[in-house]
Amino acid sequence: MRARMLLSAALVLTAFGTLSGLALERAFQSGLQQAQQDKMQTLIYSLLGAASPGTDGELLISIDAVPDPRLRQPLSGLEAALFNEDGVIVWSSTDFLSLTQPSSPAVGDWQFERLNEPNAFSLAFGMRWIDASDDPRRYTVVVLEDAVAYDRQVGVFRRKLWGWLGTLLVGLTAILLLLTGWGLAPLRRLGRELQAVESGRQQQIAGRYPDELQPLARDLNTMIVSERNQLTRYRNALGDLAHSLKTPLAVLRGIETQSEQNRQIQEQVDRMRHIVDHQLRRAAAAGRRSLTEPVPVRPLAEKLTAALTKVYAGKAVVFDNLVGNAVRIRADQADLYELLGNLLDNAAKYGRHRVRVDVAEDASHCAIVVEDDGDGFPENAESLLQRGARADTRQPGQGLGLASVVEVVQAYGGRLLLERSALLGGARVIVTLPRH
Amino acid sequence: MRALVIEDDVDLREQVIRFLSEDGFAVDSAADGDQGAYMAEEYPADVAVVDLGLPGTPGIDIIRRVRKAGRRYPILILTARDGWESKVEGLEAGADDYLVKPFHREELLARVRALLRRAGGWTSALLTSGPYVIDSGAKTVVCDGKPVELTSYEYRVLEYLLNQAGKVVSKLELTEHLYTEDEERDSNVIEVFIRRLRSKLDAENHYNPITTIRGAGYRWDLPRD
Repeated sequence: MRARMLLSAALVLTAFGTLSGLALERAFQSGLQQAQQDKMQTLIYSLLGAASPGTDGELLISIDAVPDPRLRQPLSGLEAALFNEDGVIVWSSTDFLSLTQPSSPAVGDWQFERLNEPNAFSLAFGMRWIDASDDPRRYTVVVLEDAVAYDRQVGVFRRKLWGWLGTLLVGLTAILLLLTGWGLAPLRRLGRELQAVESGRQQQIAGRYPDELQPLARDLNTMIVSERNQLTRYRNALGDLAHSLKTPLAVLRGIETQSEQNRQIQEQVDRMRHIVDHQLRRAAAAGRRSLTEPVPVRPLAEKLTAALTKVYAGKAVVFDNLVGNAVRIRADQADLYELLGNLLDNAAKYGRHRVRVDVAEDASHCAIVVEDDGDGFPENAESLLQRGARADTRQPGQGLGLASVVEVVQAYGGRLLLERSALLGGARVIVTLPRH
Repeated sequence: MRALVIEDDVDLREQVIRFLSEDGFAVDSAADGDQGAYMAEEYPADVAVVDLGLPGTPGIDIIRRVRKAGRRYPILILTARDGWESKVEGLEAGADDYLVKPFHREELLARVRALLRRAGGWTSALLTSGPYVIDSGAKTVVCDGKPVELTSYEYRVLEYLLNQAGKVVSKLELTEHLYTEDEERDSNVIEVFIRRLRSKLDAENHYNPITTIRGAGYRWDLPRD
């Protein structure tokens, strides 16, 4: 955003600077040329004032009567000449530069030109000399002035102009840079805070913001809280639903008569239970959410193994929790509980006395590995996992006690691998979850 | 053995009571958390089945209060919320096992039996003490390889004494763990049970498994393996 603002401002500034520079230069040049033309025009008038017919009837200009002394001086850069009707020089000042094609404007017209070769300005005036000898002749007066001085002047002006304009542009850009930096600082701060909330270092957006941003910060806070609350509310509602559905199901299941009808009823009750379980699990698996805090895995695994040690006290199962202290997984805590709880419960149930849990991480994924020393998975375990799921049939992984695990893994776009444990000889389950 | 059932749903409660009674338990029951908490703290119990979702005092709080009061009997939690977070919370509070609704009669009884075995220090369903082999699952007793026919109440007395082997058990304690609060009690009945047990278990006065401690009660004196 800052780059965008700077870029657009710089573009506008540059365009504005260039255009105004060009306009100023043009105005200066035309002013200078006008002055040049006026000067040369005055000279022509004074030349004409000093003109008088010679002996052969051709017009002559007495050089001594000319006011500008430069005309009497060679290589002064100022010359004048008088052309007759045929374009032949009838008079010229000290050394008139050879003009290949002298322009001859109509009588009474001025023609101002910038010549390239030689580098000079030329002003020509067409006229007819009428005097007593009733023989009007047509002449053209041409004045040439070297353009070096003019060029130097323009050059100096141009250098100064662009120098100042450049400095101005750089200065303006620098000021703009400071201004946008200062103006956008609260937005940057907000971004940093949001990141902190996302990564779990902060619960809320806490800083004070300018009036324009304060509503945004407030709304963001509301959103963060409501996202967290919504999940809790949702879960509670589901829990209530589960409770109210499962208790009558439990009663139905407890009714025992030895008839064929009872067997059918029991089957239907089991189906209903599976449907309720499946839908609840699916709904409850929160999946990836941007504002969830990464959950430290070790304490969670610690709690679960402590609880399961109690449950499997009769079997004296020993849990090895090898999860590093720093390992955090960005997932909903309840989802992680579900995932690890079921994996560890299965391992303790099907293993003999040892269960091992570890988490391996790389830049993009983390892998939860749970191993036991039981008999391992049956041959068709992978195909049991692959089986398509419909709400009214058995879910994939159900036969393996992995239904909720599959549900959570799917919600996070992860992968589930069943292997044989090289270390303990039993089952080895690897759940790979993307880290972001 | 005396069991306490705390469950608010009337049908499920009646069912659990029936399952346990049929299996030889003296069952007390409460329909809400407040009553349940009182009974759990004050009544003698060998095992409790507690629903987590209760009106009044929540199941979790009942368990915490029971443990805080120093009562150590095993607790099985019933939960419809099969999330691991709530299971862990229940187990952390002091419960010993959980059962997710809905469940089969056999599941419930197996869990309760397992908890009682664990609490009584039994490592398997079979317990050997001197010449006697007691099968807590089938509720049968074998002496020197010959089956001993016991009535349900006689078996309960034997099981309780065995659980407390080496400790003196008073008549009052036996009564409390054999009958619920609502049942008619008569400590003379205990004497009758003990007499019959002695004659059935040791007709020839050979092993003398049960010793009478005058003014205090009875003690199972054979070592448990």
